[in-house]
Amino acid sequence: MNGEAALSRGQQVSLVLLRTLVGWHFLYEGYFKLWRPAWSRDGAPLAAWTSAGYLHAANGPFASLFHHLADSSWLARIDVAVAAALVLVGLSLMLGLFTQAGCAGGLALLTLFYLAQIPTAGVQQPGAEGAYLFVNKTLIEASAVLALFFFRTGRIAGLDRLRHERQARVGRPQEAAS
Amino acid sequence: MNLTPEQQELGRRNFLKALAGTPALAALAVGAAVKGPVKGGPVRIGYIGVGGQGRVLLEQTDPAYADVLAICDINPTSLAKADASLAKKGVHPARHYAEWKEMLEKENLEAVVMAPPLWLHADMATGCMEAGKHVLCEKMMAWDDASCERMRETARKTGKLLEIGYQRNYNPIYQAAHEGIVKAGQLGDVYHARIVWHRNGTWRRKAELPSPDYDPSRWGYPTFDHLINWRLFWRYSRGLHAELASHQVNIVNWFFGAEPETVISSGGVYRFPEGGREVPDHVYTIFEYPQGRTAVFTSIESNAYDHFYEAFYGTKATLILRGETEAYLFDEGGGERPTTVDVAMKGSGPALDASESRAAEAAGSFKAGAPETIERTSAYRLEVSGFCSSIRTGKPLLCGPDRAIGSAKACIRAAEAVEKKTTRLTV
Repeated sequence: MNGEAALSRGQQVSLVLLRTLVGWHFLYEGYFKLWRPAWSRDGAPLAAWTSAGYLHAANGPFASLFHHLADSSWLARIDVAVAAALVLVGLSLMLGLFTQAGCAGGLALLTLFYLAQIPTAGVQQPGAEGAYLFVNKTLIEASAVLALFFFRTGRIAGLDRLRHERQARVGRPQEAAS
Repeated sequence: MNLTPEQQELGRRNFLKALAGTPALAALAVGAAVKGPVKGGPVRIGYIGVGGQGRVLLEQTDPAYADVLAICDINPTSLAKADASLAKKGVHPARHYAEWKEMLEKENLEAVVMAPPLWLHADMATGCMEAGKHVLCEKMMAWDDASCERMRETARKTGKLLEIGYQRNYNPIYQAAHEGIVKAGQLGDVYHARIVWHRNGTWRRKAELPSPDYDPSRWGYPTFDHLINWRLFWRYSRGLHAELASHQVNIVNWFFGAEPETVISSGGVYRFPEGGREVPDHVYTIFEYPQGRTAVFTSIESNAYDHFYEAFYGTKATLILRGETEAYLFDEGGGERPTTVDVAMKGSGPALDASESRAAEAAGSFKAGAPETIERTSAYRLEVSGFCSSIRTGKPLLCGPDRAIGSAKACIRAAEAVEKKTTRLTV
């Protein structure tokens, strides 16, 4: 608790804002993958989302593992699991509830996304809005989540803080008794 | 129209061969696809009129395209049957209404699919559009010219989509025939079309009163028979011309790129006068188009041998679209034209088919599984889905008011000519 108390108001607000924005990014990505509320311009609702394309396009040292997953009978379950995990991580970060678990889950997902497509080309790729070498936005977001993990931002603001305070209230008389 | 198996085989082969040079329609969508998707889930829809035809549309509504929130019908029996249809599809139940205006007030709808009796089309469609809903209205457009114009004007004024339910426009066979054969000039000059819808049986339907205290006069019908058999009385209906011919005239208008200027019509209640039936059970009509082109329509309720088809007789070839599910092409002259005219077996289709909605089963009996045949019901599915696509993505309607009004006016004139015993009327 002393660590959080040492943070200035501006530092606390910045961290919680960062957590909320990263949470929204996860939540909306998951929501869109699960419910696909959109239509292609040629007139049909979008087909169910699948990670197959992303996995097939994997490169780097773990490429063969991701390619194997794309072709496996597990693909449908992987798709649902990834989308559901994105929603859960998003909710966790936005609400500040089980924030440490949410950060850990988010970090795991982002690490997988990064490892599947490590930008080694150094030139702009089709569909990408910039040129990347080793460092891309996925890696930066992962670093942000890492920071959120160690700053324990749920205790600055969020439902974790309420949880923590409630536990502290319940725990105090026992401490006094002992 | 009955063709021998050899003729069917030859006709199918010719049809497919003629289409071979047509660029894939799918290629046209590529430009649209690169622009990225547009927002929105399934279109929130309410149904008005879930009797026979309304239920066909309801059953063919793809839940990925449309979410049916409510259904409205003055007949509780129809609502119960519609519930069963929805349950069979595995979608959530829809709320019930008897009053369509109440449904519009209480439900958060974006669009309405309506299949009430013809005399109600204009009031309901304009009411829905004025309430901010897009409308898919079952054919024919409306009971008289003024109502058709009122619907068209309301669509223009409100900016809401108005589609008239001629499902042939969404049928891939008709689209392929138009694009690959008619427009490509493969028929040569077409002076004559024959449109036929022959059935053997009465159009009269039987139904039990939904409850002993059910009062049809509340809804404008003096008796329950009038409510159930509205098609048989001039006050509500335009008879065979509205219910059957308008589908086919709509196609002739599309393929000719023109609308009839005059009609010559004859007919009468010859076989089924019971119950005070007013609309003819036999009609014979000539639709005269500009530049010497003519479509001849016959509809009889005393023989189903010919069943239903549209045939286009060109100087180079003949195109036959049969039962909404099959297409045949026969060259005029040349070595490929069949020279034998055998009488085909009638097949196992039902001898009595009293419904323009359920002829699918009858037509289905001819199906041979060839790639140019389709399930008739899939055109209804494409129609409802296409309507939803237009709402979400702005894709053009295939049968908006401007296209539908031509066939409506011609069929209204044809029905009037029979009713008034006037031989020839100007459209």
